[in-house]
Amino acid sequence: MAAGVAAWLPFARAAAIGWMPVASSPMPVPPKDKPRGRNGIIVINVSGTKFQTWQDTLERYPDTLLGSSERDFFFHEESNEYFFDRDPDIFRHILNFYRTGKLHYPRQECISAYDEELAFFGIIPEIIGDCCYEDYKDRRRENQERMQDDEETDPANELITADMSFRESMWRAFENPHTSTMALVFYYVTGFFIAVSVMANVVETVPCGAVPNRVKMMSCGERYELAFFCLDTACVMIFTVEYLLRLLAAPSRYKFVKSVMSIIDVVAIMPYYIGLVMTDNEDVSGAFVTLRVFRVFRIFKFSRHSAGLRILGYTLKSCASELGFLLFSLTMAIIIFATVMFYAEKGSGSKFTSIPAAFWYTIVTMTTLGYGDMVPKTIMGKIFGSICSLSGVLVIALPVPVIVSNFSRIYHQSQRAEKRRAQKKTRLARIHAVKSGGANAYLQYKQNQLSSEFMHQRALVCKTNPIFEVQHHHILHCLEKTTNHEFVDEKTYEASCREVTLVKQVSRSSSISSSSPHGLSCCARKKRKTFNVPNSNMSVGLQGSIQELSTIQIRERPLTNSRSSLNAKFEETVPLNCDQPYITAAVISMPTPPVTTPEGDESASSPDYSQANIVRVSAL
Amino acid sequence: MSCRKRCKREIFKFAQYLFRLVTGTLSTDSVEDELELSTVRHRPEGLEQLEARTRFSRKELQILYRGFKNECPSGVVNEDTFKDIYAQFFPQGDASTYAHFLFNAFDTDHNGSVSFVDFVMGLSILLRGTVQEKLNWAFNLYDINKDGYITKEEMLDIMKAIYDMMGKCTYPVLKEETPRQHVEVFFQKMDKNKDGVVTIDEFIDCCQNDENIMRSMHLFENVL
Repeated sequence: MAAGVAAWLPFARAAAIGWMPVASSPMPVPPKDKPRGRNGIIVINVSGTKFQTWQDTLERYPDTLLGSSERDFFFHEESNEYFFDRDPDIFRHILNFYRTGKLHYPRQECISAYDEELAFFGIIPEIIGDCCYEDYKDRRRENQERMQDDEETDPANELITADMSFRESMWRAFENPHTSTMALVFYYVTGFFIAVSVMANVVETVPCGAVPNRVKMMSCGERYELAFFCLDTACVMIFTVEYLLRLLAAPSRYKFVKSVMSIIDVVAIMPYYIGLVMTDNEDVSGAFVTLRVFRVFRIFKFSRHSAGLRILGYTLKSCASELGFLLFSLTMAIIIFATVMFYAEKGSGSKFTSIPAAFWYTIVTMTTLGYGDMVPKTIMGKIFGSICSLSGVLVIALPVPVIVSNFSRIYHQSQRAEKRRAQKKTRLARIHAVKSGGANAYLQYKQNQLSSEFMHQRALVCKTNPIFEVQHHHILHCLEKTTNHEFVDEKTYEASCREVTLVKQVSRSSSISSSSPHGLSCCARKKRKTFNVPNSNMSVGLQGSIQELSTIQIRERPLTNSRSSLNAKFEETVPLNCDQPYITAAVISMPTPPVTTPEGDESASSPDYSQANIVRVSAL
Repeated sequence: MSCRKRCKREIFKFAQYLFRLVTGTLSTDSVEDELELSTVRHRPEGLEQLEARTRFSRKELQILYRGFKNECPSGVVNEDTFKDIYAQFFPQGDASTYAHFLFNAFDTDHNGSVSFVDFVMGLSILLRGTVQEKLNWAFNLYDINKDGYITKEEMLDIMKAIYDMMGKCTYPVLKEETPRQHVEVFFQKMDKNKDGVVTIDEFIDCCQNDENIMRSMHLFENVL
């Protein structure tokens, strides 16, 4: 029941009295009506714009934010109103939904902003009214396509080529020739050979001048038969190899074989092979000649090279109904006019011998060609002939704008996709710049802090940063302290990655030898994790500072143990209640952070870190 | 004579049509048609008069009017809107026939539309009226042609309309003759002198003697 008609419920209940006299059994007890004393006005303040409505209006939909007790979270005591820090323009539509029971979608709003607001207020978008539903769905689909577009090509940019198998890389090379030079070369070579093959087909029918011992003109194909045969063979070789390679590389061979392009490929190369097989059979050679016609299909192979051709093909496919209608109406008109012309010209000895013979005249006239091989001679014939030509123009002109607009729409869509792709690069670059800018700012801040600590010039450093940036940096710092890792820039990270492989064996051996049984006792039954965290430590080590495994963050304990006290008070910290879910004691082994070769430093530094190597209990 | 005149007029119209065809002014825009659907706005009488005429308090009238105006911004309900609104309460079945009878019952001045005054007067009787008035109203509802007698055919229509509202999916399954049987039962009870029609007095008498009906008359007293 639409809540918009909830106001009429009393009427419906009252009208039920009309059933009472005819009822054969007693009526059930009515539900208890709640006292309607308090029906107050609720003030909702959305970013300064005040909306007011009856409380009952909001409570029509108790499973949304405004209709349930969830709105109490937003109640603002001082001003005795509900305050939402959201977009007032979109809120207007949401409130209208409560009032009228219909949710409308404003055209000028961004679809994702609108969806967010709906999600915030707990309204499912499926109840958008019929008037706006189509629009909403269209915009949503566009948005999803756009997001899908981004996702699809994003991994394509970030794929590391080593991960792909040879087959996958080959397929990618075939589909996107711009990805590698080999693919580009292959692309151009095949294009060239398609052109050469088509040209050869054309040229071999041109008359080439008579050979001295023959009377009639020979075509070039007959004169230079061997040359053309060799050229044809070469082209077909290349096409066959290309087709086989594509077939091999295709992720779904069945789908590939079914696709249009593969059918064109097959049709382009089949006549040659059939011709090879059948040249010795004389009576079938007539059919063989007609097979050569199919060689012209090689020109369709160009559609892989030209996007415009593909768009044209797609347009024709999508306008199939309009084309069908055009054909049908033309056929109708042709039959009508042919009949009329035949009967008008009958008996005057003209060329209109039968109605099918008149078809030719009608077609030529309707398309305004007017060859003149068949002309009406009687007056009636001429009158009808002129009507025929006038109507022909109309019938052809009508479906054409539809096809044109379809083509234009598809073309613009592909243009937009291209533009989006071009813009995406700049967009990603922008996002990347912002991210790295933020990270760099923090690193800069840290360096400034470090240097200022040494030079006591805090005031100089702090005034350049706004307060929220300072707070942001503080949070990042806290995070660093928590995880005992630090933020670094890319170069150092890559360098440290290389170092990891060197240091891993070293740290592992040291941890096994020096792990204390005491530290692991309480958690021996439970999980025991030995962490190797050499990576980030390495990076820090490269910066020249020594890694600090400083504080223990134990949630339940009020005091945090510093590193120095850790070793001394080890017995105290260990009998923590390991059953508590918040604490998992993890044994972190501290690797030696050498800057240069690990072997040389190990002996020197291991005594220093012997204690540190044993146990670092860090609650995660 | 009139035939010749008509012929002449037709020929003249045809000539006009040809003329317009040739000069290209065939389809004249009929702007006037648009304005015929001008909004009918109806304003009810003032709150005080309504308060005097009905048994509702000021607040109740306000609530009623707000709901009424929300659904029908023009201030009157025509039959189609009425049917729509009523149908929303009974989605399983077809409430249009019963809504038609209801509409006629509310539309006391039979002008084809129910204004807020009609609406609230009807509700006043149904919710705040005496039992006599309610029974009177019910009789008025059943008496389709408002001649003072309920015939079997009228009652059958009403019964069918009520059963239509149930829809198809009922338990036990609705049969064709169920409304008819129900009408028979009703007439057996109500028609005292067995003359095939029920008058208002028979109706009221009979209902007042029936406990179930009396009890159910008080059922919706606390609505609103």
